[in-house]
Amino acid sequence: MEFAIVSTLNGVTYGLLLFMVSAGLTLIFGMMGVLNFAHASFYMLGAYVAYAVSSAFGFLAGLVVAPILVGIVGMLVERFLLPRVHAHGHAHELLLTFGLALIIEELIKLFFGDFPVNYQMPGDLRFSAFTIFGSDYPFYRLFIGGMAVVMFALLWLLLTRTRTGIVVRAAERLPAMAEALGHNIPVVFMAVFGTGAALAGLAGAVAGAFYPTNPNMGIELGVIVFVVVVVGGLGSLKGSLLASLLIGLFSSFAVGLDWSLAGLFGLVGLGDWARAIGGLMTLKLSSVSATIPFALMLLVLLVRPAGLMGERN
Amino acid sequence: MHRLAFLAAASAVALAAPAQAEPLKIGIIESLSGAQTSTGRLYANAVEYGVDQINKAGGFNGEPVQVTEYDNAGGAPEAADKFRQAVADGVDIIFQGASSAIAGQLTEDVRKHNIRNAGHEVMFINLGGEAMELTGEKCQFYHFRFTTTAPMRVNALVNAMKADGDLGTKVYSINQNYSWGQDMQKAVEAAADTGGYEVVGEVLHDVNKIQDFAPFVARIKAAAPDTVFTGNWSNDLLLLMKATGDAGLDVTFATAFLDQPGNIANAGKTAIGHYIANNYDNAASDGKFAEDYKAATGHYPIFVEGHSAFALAQLKQALDTLDFGGGEIDVTKIALALEDSTYDSPVGPSSVRKADHQTIRPVVVSKVVENPKYPADDTDMGFQTVKVVPGEDAIYPVQDSCQMKRPGE
Repeated sequence: MEFAIVSTLNGVTYGLLLFMVSAGLTLIFGMMGVLNFAHASFYMLGAYVAYAVSSAFGFLAGLVVAPILVGIVGMLVERFLLPRVHAHGHAHELLLTFGLALIIEELIKLFFGDFPVNYQMPGDLRFSAFTIFGSDYPFYRLFIGGMAVVMFALLWLLLTRTRTGIVVRAAERLPAMAEALGHNIPVVFMAVFGTGAALAGLAGAVAGAFYPTNPNMGIELGVIVFVVVVVGGLGSLKGSLLASLLIGLFSSFAVGLDWSLAGLFGLVGLGDWARAIGGLMTLKLSSVSATIPFALMLLVLLVRPAGLMGERN
Repeated sequence: MHRLAFLAAASAVALAAPAQAEPLKIGIIESLSGAQTSTGRLYANAVEYGVDQINKAGGFNGEPVQVTEYDNAGGAPEAADKFRQAVADGVDIIFQGASSAIAGQLTEDVRKHNIRNAGHEVMFINLGGEAMELTGEKCQFYHFRFTTTAPMRVNALVNAMKADGDLGTKVYSINQNYSWGQDMQKAVEAAADTGGYEVVGEVLHDVNKIQDFAPFVARIKAAAPDTVFTGNWSNDLLLLMKATGDAGLDVTFATAFLDQPGNIANAGKTAIGHYIANNYDNAASDGKFAEDYKAATGHYPIFVEGHSAFALAQLKQALDTLDFGGGEIDVTKIALALEDSTYDSPVGPSSVRKADHQTIRPVVVSKVVENPKYPADDTDMGFQTVKVVPGEDAIYPVQDSCQMKRPGE
């Protein structure tokens, strides 16, 4: 019971963090069809901006400035870089953002050095929210989770319940028609891209204080964020949330389970034989816990190629 | 026609000019871009510092020692590529430290190169690849390891922590699931009897892919250990320590890479009281080397810089016994001289074990304290030496798998 409760709690908060980072990516893909490889770099940029700002003006200032600045960077990218390759299709946009990711990483190293920087949450937030089965549960984990929930609610309401949302969705479906009705489509797209980047920046500012802020944080989270978006269904906000939570929970539970194929064979009396073979048979689930999201992605792609909540199933 | 004649004349003059002495060429094949840049850069810094020291003392073979950096971008295939380039550039000795996987690639490349190019051998000085196989199945005459291995670090930690009463009787092992982590886990199991502890749990996990260590901390808590042994480095160590601190779990960490820059600052007060075993720490020496290094580079030696500089100093001692009279450089003779050298490093003597080319070297065990002599990462915390375990106590027997073929055999 203790294992189940602690693992669920850890899995849900980690899943919400994943959602926070992948929300912007989903938004950009869903609304504009651009698969933004530099998304995780925006996340890293957010953490570094927040670090730089917070060391002078305090943690909260960092939390406010980071998304704004990263959002502006995102808008500039959308305004000046993407249109140049847009006519050549998705592959070129992907390559452009891939190059951008490399450039951002090296720039970060140039300005902030190769080592992790000392970006810390303020002491006021460093306390345990409650004690569960004898271990403290850090408040900041709940803070991250809460931010993600608020982010989801706001985005969802914005897109489905407001006039702005209607214009954005119209711009995605029938850009020519929306333009004919007097909406400035390039500005809409620029705003969407900027918002997506700003969300990544905010996630970086929040998570960077909990996890180390280093020049590799983009690569480390980048891959898993793509897995989230693919599993959830490209462009589906709800799908992203579901996929993030699933991946969080799977990873969390897998760590505690020393299951192996040999154990499975043991159920039918072939355990000793399987253990004698070794290799893959005795590989424990816990030692491959970080691989589980990829296995999940494979499974989802085989069964539902468009993802759990993708539209084109 | 006229031009051809001029060219011929020019080359005749060039050929007739007195032959210059052949300089010793050193190649650093290191991770200078990509995820391991921070570590690779430090190895390269230290090698360059060491070469400067050799050149200040007059160089070698009548010429300054030349050093070239090759960026392997953190991958073994690129390293193999850069090795070919280094050979084409006439490099005699290569250095690498940031990765065991790359060390494995390079030592094989060096072995094959030397079989095919007798008389033009290349030597590999391994500054940080700690995988046991490098001095086991893959051991060879032209590879030298100038760093510790998992059993040396674990034995030193057990030894010092037990003497200090910080070890306890229940030990947990959490390590990365590849050669290094597996070596650590085996070493922790092997030292159980001498350390008088029971291994209450062990887990291997993916390397630097895990963002959330809270589930692992839950596992550790369930096993209720006194001490947690981990060979984790980079994010895997930092995230593990932070998650443990956040959960309020009261355990002592016995680590191998806690001194990686940024770790102490990021971990904050959580780091206090944890142990590390490594090759060198400023606080364990008389401070002379640290000051010299600072005068030359602008900062005290950190992380791997100290022991890497000592490797060059030991190489210098070996070179001092040789004289090629300005003629061709014989790498085999350098290797033989290095085998016979003993270098008195600031933390104790280091020598090469001929059977497997592992160096017999002291291991420094330190503990994180407040207000140390040499603060880490601009904080008020740093390392205090607990014990310097001399080389002969730290070393382990030669592995049976090492069948070294010596030159001329």
